[in-house]
Amino acid sequence: MIQVNRIAGGLIDRSQPLDFFFNGQQLSGFSGDTLASALIANDQKLVARSFKYHRPRGIFSAGSEEPNALVELRNGPSQEPNTRATVAELFDGLEATSQNHRGSLAFDLMAINDLFAPILSAGFYYKTFMWPKAFWEKVYEPIIRASAGLGRLSGDDDPDSYDKGFLHCDVLIIGAGPTGIAAALAAGRAGARVIFADEDFLIGGRLNAETFEVEGQAGPQWATQSVTELNSLSNVRLMPRTSVYGSFDHGIFGAVERMTDQLPGTRGKPRQVLWRIYSKRAVLCAGATERSIAFGNNDRPGVMLAGSVRAYVNRWGVAPGKRVAVFTNNDDGWRTALDLISKGINISAVIDTRSQRPTFDLPGVKIVMGGRIINSSGRKCLTTLLLADGQSIKADCLAVSGGWNPNVQLSCHQRGKPVWRDDIAAFVPGRDLPVGMEVAGAANGALTLAAALGQGHNAGNAAAIAIGYNPSGNPAPKAEDEASGIIGFWHVAESKARAWLDLQNDVTVKDLRIAQSEGLHSVEHLKRYTTLGMATDQGKLANVPALAIMAELTGKSIPETGTTIFRPPYTPVPIGAFGGRSRGKAFRPTRLTPSHKWAEEQGAVFVETGMWLRAQWFPRSGETHWRQSVDREVMQTRSSVGVCDVTTLGKIDVQGRDAAVFLNRIYANGFAKLPVGKTRYGLMLREDGIAMDDGTTARLSEHQFVMTTTTSNAVSVFRHMEFCRQCLWPGLDVHLISATEQWAQYAVAGPNSRPLLRKVIDPDFDISNEAFPFMACGEITMCGGIPGRLFRISFSGELAYEIAVPARYGDALVRALMAAGSEYHVVPYGTEALGVMRVEKGHAAGNELTGQTTARDLGMGRMVSKKKDSIGSVLSERIALNREDGLALVGFIPVNRAEALRAGAHFVSQNKAAIIENDEGWMTSVAFSPSHGHSIGLGFIKRGAERTGETVTAVDPLRGTNISVKIVSPHFIDPEGERLRA
Amino acid sequence: MPELNLTASSPLGGLEMQYAGVLLSEITDLALVSIAIPLGGRSALEREMAVRFNVGLPACGQSTVTTDGMYQFLGMQIDQLFALFEYSCNDAVSIISNELGKTAYYTDQTDSWAMLRIAGPMTRMALERICPLDLHPDRFSQGSVARTTMEHLAVIILRTDQDSFTLMSPRSSASSFLHAVETSIENVL
Repeated sequence: MIQVNRIAGGLIDRSQPLDFFFNGQQLSGFSGDTLASALIANDQKLVARSFKYHRPRGIFSAGSEEPNALVELRNGPSQEPNTRATVAELFDGLEATSQNHRGSLAFDLMAINDLFAPILSAGFYYKTFMWPKAFWEKVYEPIIRASAGLGRLSGDDDPDSYDKGFLHCDVLIIGAGPTGIAAALAAGRAGARVIFADEDFLIGGRLNAETFEVEGQAGPQWATQSVTELNSLSNVRLMPRTSVYGSFDHGIFGAVERMTDQLPGTRGKPRQVLWRIYSKRAVLCAGATERSIAFGNNDRPGVMLAGSVRAYVNRWGVAPGKRVAVFTNNDDGWRTALDLISKGINISAVIDTRSQRPTFDLPGVKIVMGGRIINSSGRKCLTTLLLADGQSIKADCLAVSGGWNPNVQLSCHQRGKPVWRDDIAAFVPGRDLPVGMEVAGAANGALTLAAALGQGHNAGNAAAIAIGYNPSGNPAPKAEDEASGIIGFWHVAESKARAWLDLQNDVTVKDLRIAQSEGLHSVEHLKRYTTLGMATDQGKLANVPALAIMAELTGKSIPETGTTIFRPPYTPVPIGAFGGRSRGKAFRPTRLTPSHKWAEEQGAVFVETGMWLRAQWFPRSGETHWRQSVDREVMQTRSSVGVCDVTTLGKIDVQGRDAAVFLNRIYANGFAKLPVGKTRYGLMLREDGIAMDDGTTARLSEHQFVMTTTTSNAVSVFRHMEFCRQCLWPGLDVHLISATEQWAQYAVAGPNSRPLLRKVIDPDFDISNEAFPFMACGEITMCGGIPGRLFRISFSGELAYEIAVPARYGDALVRALMAAGSEYHVVPYGTEALGVMRVEKGHAAGNELTGQTTARDLGMGRMVSKKKDSIGSVLSERIALNREDGLALVGFIPVNRAEALRAGAHFVSQNKAAIIENDEGWMTSVAFSPSHGHSIGLGFIKRGAERTGETVTAVDPLRGTNISVKIVSPHFIDPEGERLRA
Repeated sequence: MPELNLTASSPLGGLEMQYAGVLLSEITDLALVSIAIPLGGRSALEREMAVRFNVGLPACGQSTVTTDGMYQFLGMQIDQLFALFEYSCNDAVSIISNELGKTAYYTDQTDSWAMLRIAGPMTRMALERICPLDLHPDRFSQGSVARTTMEHLAVIILRTDQDSFTLMSPRSSASSFLHAVETSIENVL
């Protein structure tokens, strides 16, 4: 357990040693380590196998751009595949497993794929797996599926909880390196509300990886001191471990904050929080990511980014190698040699592609200017480098620097295109930035320290001023600009062996040549044909070198070639974080009716109707099948009395001098002359003449109506009416408010409904047939003065009422109704019995109002009044909707009474073939009618009104049954309506 | 025939929960009446409110309170305010209509909303998890009111004190609403 590669220094806490496990082997590290730095400390060179060829992979970088060191972190249900070891904070007991190998990491059986490399190159799957055809489903696809992907999921539900949240600020500062810190100090000192976020757990960005000085202090020290000052400001909110993953409209950003990933467990708290951040201004200080140079076998473990090598040495106190070589096309790569030499690490060579004077004087170190590496060798990790001039260099680690790419992604999420700068050989943000955003520092192409600090400082001040604050007057933090010359150099053309561009998806320069030779030149095609940039690292290291090489191959310039489109998220975000609390029962709110508790006590079976839970039927002991319950509820209601909770139907309160005029325009039938104290059935059409919704509207006074809608259309009808009120007819005095929640409402139906209600309603109110006839309505009191409303309307076809009471009394009222009705053997009935009874009565409901049917189809053509204008009236007269052979709603019974009708069956004349051309209509609703003892149905059929008594075939190809059915009246009970008016 | 009595029940059973830094309790003694301003009737209503309640018409998003603190009027829409006042009987509308008469249209909303009071120094931290609005004390002043959504539920939020708010959400989804608020509190503690 000795950390052989530990060296002195670093920003880790050696007083807090930690134990962790990699592939079952126990190793040790310190607090402040990442999994990657701890693995390097323990000399673990091999960490994974590549995607296609299963070649050995080592740690390549020190940040979120890591393409290779992906592990399955944690065991059991919390196991997370494709976790980058370079950003995973080490904690005590951490368990990690390497990915993408059959057999052990050291002896991967799938490594044989590398021998097939010539036929596994770019686009191979467009040219293979085609013959024999039969092999695709049973042989090729299973093999491909088994090889696809890198890490594995546990297969269990994610056991952790996630949360979401909303934050508001004046200035959002993205990235807490030197630029971000300067910006945050400027804006924070000016008094602006600042949110300051960084993906790392230690504020400071590259200051923690380098040996720079700021304000005369070591970089990390200045960072820590700045953090202390920022924490002391109540207007600044620091958010480390927070990745701002996307830039959205109007200054809104998405961010994910890791709350417990650095701990052994979540302790029941949300693992991560997905924040929506609303900013007035944003400063993008996302820094830059280094890129490599492609050469033969440049994917060998031990080849790493130069800046990352220094990060491991300076920040984490580990040496990635004992004999380190440097390969660079710019001045910055030389810093690795300087820093390692000062730590006593041997530099075997510095190879610079530029033919010029060495950037630094390094006595005793082999310097090769104008040099190029053409190959590497070493069994599982690097031992030797071969140069183009034939020299052989011994090295167990190669630090490569191909230059730095500004992290422009967030500035391009809204389709802004970055622009090329030759002087730094990199893309920088273009002019089309998201509203309110400024870019500063390395992300803006200011790749040196003093320049970055200056830009951050100025951007922070500018943002504060733009919002109306006064800058504090402090100057920008002082530092020096390091050497940063570069000459673009992307790949060593002399290399014979494959040269890697996308390490994760195994895409090489050779693959680019294949794509180019097959005519796939555009970057978007290049990406998809070769899969370069499509792995979990989203091409952070591969994109720019690849398009530079493509530019070379096609003879275009780099700006002409351009970049692919950057889309959120910047780094991977767990699906659980996007889901937040919306899982399982909490996926949607649940709406409960006022009688819910009472219904539960009765053992009701519930059904989901949108967000509502409604009682579907109320089984009695001894009943084993739902039909027994439902038939009983129907028969008992029709023979005596039943009670049903109808609170869920939309209730809209309509008031105003012009309320009647308004309703007259909304409804197809007339409402202007509805007397006070009366209710009327209303049909609403869409503007195109199609039936939209129906209900009843009661006039409580000259200027007050209460409208009911169907349960499912409550919201859409209210929205429609508000639109009409506010936008179409703002000159009408009419006001709407929902009353659905305000009133608990119960249907009381059956021959004994009146005597039952007489026991509940206060005696001052005469509800005799004469005083309160069919379709009457009024305000009443009940049970000694409790205010309520009574409506004499019937959905069942029986003598029936609906009684409403303020919802606080809803539970009490249903119990009182049951108590009052016990002498009549009152039965509670649910939505199933409700549905059976309305089908027996022949009432249209949602199944008939499909959004394709008209008033005429429903048999209500004459209800569309021509004496006034209403929505849909004109277009309902279109010829196509008024054909002679148009549909009509009729009833159906099976010729063989023992057969069950099926909703959805289509009608064909008896002597015609069951093909589409002969389709005459369809069955909309069916039920077993206990009143008749057989199945009944409602449906639309052409010329239906003229065909009573005719037998047709109900064809059901889906369920494979054809039934002979007879056309009858849709009113199966009490067609004269005598019960209603009793 | 036995006397049939109807007893009232509140949406959340009168709960009261104390957490470290947050007190959550159901409000059960306030009535809520919607007051719709007739087209062209703004000044008439304004006058009547001044005469009867000695209070001004609130702007949208703000509220006005009578000097005795008994009635608070919430500016909900251009042509709609809510009256919020202590009252537990059955005729809240008449309390308002007896004063303002024909200058407005009234609808009882008392039973439509489950009402929670959330108070304490951790309140805003908890509400950050579900409330999309900016509740910073300088942005959402005392007496401010707004309609918003929290965890897919319609919510009216009213700031009542330094660190306290009234939250109202439709009665039928009261359990889901309580769960959302409780979870927010538990998640930040």
